[in-house]
Amino acid sequence: MSDLVELDRGDKWEVQLRKGCLELAILAALWDGRRYGLEILRIVESDSKLIISEGTIYPLLTRLKALGLVESEWVESDSGHPRKYYSLTAAGRQRALEMAGIWERFSSSIARMLGPLKEVRP
Amino acid sequence: MTAASKAQQRIDDYLNELQRRLRGLGKEQTREIIAELRSHILERAGEGELSVDRVSTVLKSLGPPEELAHEYTQDEILARAEISRTPLRLLNSLFGWATMSVAGFLVLLVTVIGYFLGVVFVVVAASKPFHPATAGLWSLRDRPGDLELSLRMGFGSVPANGHELLGWWIVPLGLVIGCGLGILTTKFALWCVRMYQRTRLRPRT
Repeated sequence: MSDLVELDRGDKWEVQLRKGCLELAILAALWDGRRYGLEILRIVESDSKLIISEGTIYPLLTRLKALGLVESEWVESDSGHPRKYYSLTAAGRQRALEMAGIWERFSSSIARMLGPLKEVRP
Repeated sequence: MTAASKAQQRIDDYLNELQRRLRGLGKEQTREIIAELRSHILERAGEGELSVDRVSTVLKSLGPPEELAHEYTQDEILARAEISRTPLRLLNSLFGWATMSVAGFLVLLVTVIGYFLGVVFVVVAASKPFHPATAGLWSLRDRPGDLELSLRMGFGSVPANGHELLGWWIVPLGLVIGCGLGILTTKFALWCVRMYQRTRLRPRT
């Protein structure tokens, strides 16, 4: 139902855009080393407005793992409950670089196209 | 019941509901998912004694268990179907999809029928050399005007009121049609999976 409402409001596009970028954002968050789900969530949350629902990130991590882009390990923590840490595989690094390249080309060409709109927008 | 055990109960209820809806995934994987989310909830709910309020807020921002389960199973099952290279694996993942949606069920049905027919053609072609007189495509006429086509593996006697249509042509034709059906069916199933993924909206607010 909510899908239809969003469709009417026309911001379905924005939601899809965010979703599409989340994968790249997760891979980027793991670039400097292993992190667990909540940590990734906090990074992505603080740096962007990509997270629509907190639950989204976990199925996505599972999928990235199934695709062989990340790997995971359980690590005991001081807080008493073990955490599942994720890190990039070689394929994940490769993919992150590819996606970043695509993103940069794409966003700069869109930015050029949007030039004329700047004059009208407040 | 103390506040902390009430909060704990809330978490267990949420995770039990999620687990129940994760059917279709493997046991080990379900266990991992539940453990990971439990860890998330406990850490998100903060240090010290659990409070019902905090736990409720955390669970709310995770989203309803059914939606979360949907994300896990759709992604998993469809992703597995997409990388399946053998009909058995493909059928296995389609079966998981079929338990969750009507679209999945229909695709499974058509795929099973397609593979079944394909196998029948190949088997009949392969039986021809062993039962040259009886294996093949037969037309059976029990009553005048009544026509029935029958693919026979050649066990049993020559059917009464029937005559064979293709002769030895059943061997190459059966192999080509059988393998063709197998390939077409696989293509169809994978195409459905991709179309479904493309049209599936996954927005959240």
